[in-house]
Amino acid sequence: MKNRSGLYASWERFGWTMSAPSVLFLVAMTSIPLLSLLVMGTWRIDLTNPMGNRWIGISNYLEMLQDSRFWNAAWVTAIYTVSTVVLQVALGLVMAVALFRQVRGQGLIRVSVLLPMILAPVVVGLAWRTLILTPEYGILDYLAISLGFGSKPWLGDPRWALASVIIIHTWQWTPFAFLVFLASLHALPQEPLEAALLDTKTAWQRFRYVILPMIRPAIVIVVIFRTMIALRAFAAIFSATGGGPGTATEILNLYAYRVSFNDLNLGYGAAVATLLLFLTLAISAIFFRMRGSVIS
Amino acid sequence: METDFKGPPRAGRRCAMTRFTRRRFIETTAKIGGLLAAATAAPSFVKRTIADEKHSEYLKAKVNWRQAEGEQLKILVTPAHYFNKFRAITPHFTELTGIKIDFEVIPPREMREKALLDLGAKTAIYASHTADPMYLPLYEANKWVDPLDDYLDDPTLTDRAWFDLDDIIPLWRAANQVKGKLYGMPVEGECTIHIYRRDIYEQLGLTPPETMEAFAEAARKSHRFDGKIAGAALRGFRGPGQNMYIWPSLFLAWGGRWFDSAGNPQVNSEAGVKSLEFYCNLNQNYGPPGVENFNWPEIMEAFAGGNLVQYIDANSTASVIENPNKSKVAGKVGYGRWPKGPSGRRVTSIWNWAMPINGALSPKKKRATWLYIQWLASRPTQMSSALYMEGPDAVVRTGVNRISIWTDPQYRKVIAFTPDYADVVLTSLKEDTDPDWRPRVPQWPKIGEIMAVAVQAALVKQKTPKAALDEANAQIAKVMRE
Repeated sequence: MKNRSGLYASWERFGWTMSAPSVLFLVAMTSIPLLSLLVMGTWRIDLTNPMGNRWIGISNYLEMLQDSRFWNAAWVTAIYTVSTVVLQVALGLVMAVALFRQVRGQGLIRVSVLLPMILAPVVVGLAWRTLILTPEYGILDYLAISLGFGSKPWLGDPRWALASVIIIHTWQWTPFAFLVFLASLHALPQEPLEAALLDTKTAWQRFRYVILPMIRPAIVIVVIFRTMIALRAFAAIFSATGGGPGTATEILNLYAYRVSFNDLNLGYGAAVATLLLFLTLAISAIFFRMRGSVIS
Repeated sequence: METDFKGPPRAGRRCAMTRFTRRRFIETTAKIGGLLAAATAAPSFVKRTIADEKHSEYLKAKVNWRQAEGEQLKILVTPAHYFNKFRAITPHFTELTGIKIDFEVIPPREMREKALLDLGAKTAIYASHTADPMYLPLYEANKWVDPLDDYLDDPTLTDRAWFDLDDIIPLWRAANQVKGKLYGMPVEGECTIHIYRRDIYEQLGLTPPETMEAFAEAARKSHRFDGKIAGAALRGFRGPGQNMYIWPSLFLAWGGRWFDSAGNPQVNSEAGVKSLEFYCNLNQNYGPPGVENFNWPEIMEAFAGGNLVQYIDANSTASVIENPNKSKVAGKVGYGRWPKGPSGRRVTSIWNWAMPINGALSPKKKRATWLYIQWLASRPTQMSSALYMEGPDAVVRTGVNRISIWTDPQYRKVIAFTPDYADVVLTSLKEDTDPDWRPRVPQWPKIGEIMAVAVQAALVKQKTPKAALDEANAQIAKVMRE
């Protein structure tokens, strides 16, 4: 007995010793920066006017309420997140349902849809900006002209620019939704599907009343993942438009970056980033609760 | 230099050759020395003589170049061609002083962020960097960098007669001063000039414009005259160093002032609105498609590809558009100073790469850094880097920092794109610029961003020029109050 507990204790100690380096590394690389971010958000740290730097409590957060550029960024973030997630889920679902019975060439399809996802977002942003959306010379604009729609200022007009960055994000990440849906369609039990073939009249009914409820957990997971990623999108927009024209594509993440590293207002930038963090956590928590209710 | 990324190939070869000749020389001398008792002393004596010859220009200075021997400095630069040339000839500095320089080469924005983090955290990683002069007031407000006057006035560190500070373009030095003290040494710079297709001007019977009105008229007449070519372009891309590198010239040429005597911002004054309207109309009506996202490389490419009649931008673009391997229009280009605005003024940009000394360094490292800055900004180094060609296709330096080089026939021959190019640039540098071209205050990063957004919002018709500037003016007032 004594021997066993001793063994256990030494095992435990061994476990802690082995995991200590990675735990310490994680604390140093994530927890400490996170804590310093929370603290910085309560300070006025403005390098352009260092005389007035001091602890100011929640003033940074109160200032956000009156900051029109912050509200613009919040609004752009909302449009960007909702539309990219809806588009990804809708397109991914359509593609998965259309293709999952297809046996020939499915391997090829799976590999080829992976390609956008393995590109770095910076590369995606730059490639779209230069190769696809450049007026007159870009592929998309060339097509638009050839088809008689005329050249469009894809990244030059505020509304087109927001639509363009939404399309870029959707292009890159719809494959993720597609692959998850495809996998969960393949994993569905066959009996209810076969029963459904007898009980439903149209394909739509089959989809709406049988398939959709059965893959709902997968949809919720995709929505959670994609919402979290869309909320903290950065690189593709940064390289495609830099948040412009004007502030038309400036999402909260870009705004926090600009405030911190361009305006050098580190305290306020930290507060914006903190708010974005809690926003993401809150939205994810809501979705996770929904998922819990779906599964039970 | 061993740790350097690309390691300029020519420099390496040159060093190897030097070593070879030196060794041969030493061997020969040793043979001649033969049985002499002084044979052991000969090699060091010979070495010194050869070094003296190569560095003779520098040894004229009455400073001890080897006072910080053994130091190692890290310096941040951008990948621009002139810094490549500086890097290529820096081994000569190491030979002269025994100070080793490591370069970190990254694009401008990332470089500035790294430099700011290093300065702000006082980690003293980078002894110096190629700074934007508009950031020097911010550096000074935080006491991040040392005033260079302390180093210039120390006779053990600087031979003022030899260094000849007054020869360095006066307005660049003025732009790098804060409260009367110099905080960054200009090592390279530029100004903006009018660059146009001489052949098209001749074909259409146009004369180089004297006024901004005539400039717009030339753009109107030449726009799509062949069904394709765009009439004119000014930078549209948003940024304190992008569209806000062009619009301030218009603002001042229309008679604008950034602040009134009480310190209130004036960007929404009549001059502001009228100049922004001019900028928007010109780009919207006669600009190439997508000009709202064009920075200087895109404008230069459009011009080099024969898709643009004229633009106003950095004189340094000449070295690319006059290179037949890179440009369809080489030899067909004309250059002129900025046309006059309604106020009667021609206003060019003011820009140089300023090298400060990181205030968090140890005293010895500071001395070593100053020796490097002094060496780099000196006449011999500026001249040899201007004439240095890293390959047959290399672009030439069009931004040397000394008046005496701009007037030197040897240098003028290198940049004789047209007979008057050198004079257009030199006159612009002397007469058309203004140290307070943009507001030199610590808050510039914020103001530059606010204005860049406003100018682009007007260009893409998100807001009217008046509304955009009203909003910007209120924001700047708030920034200045904080």
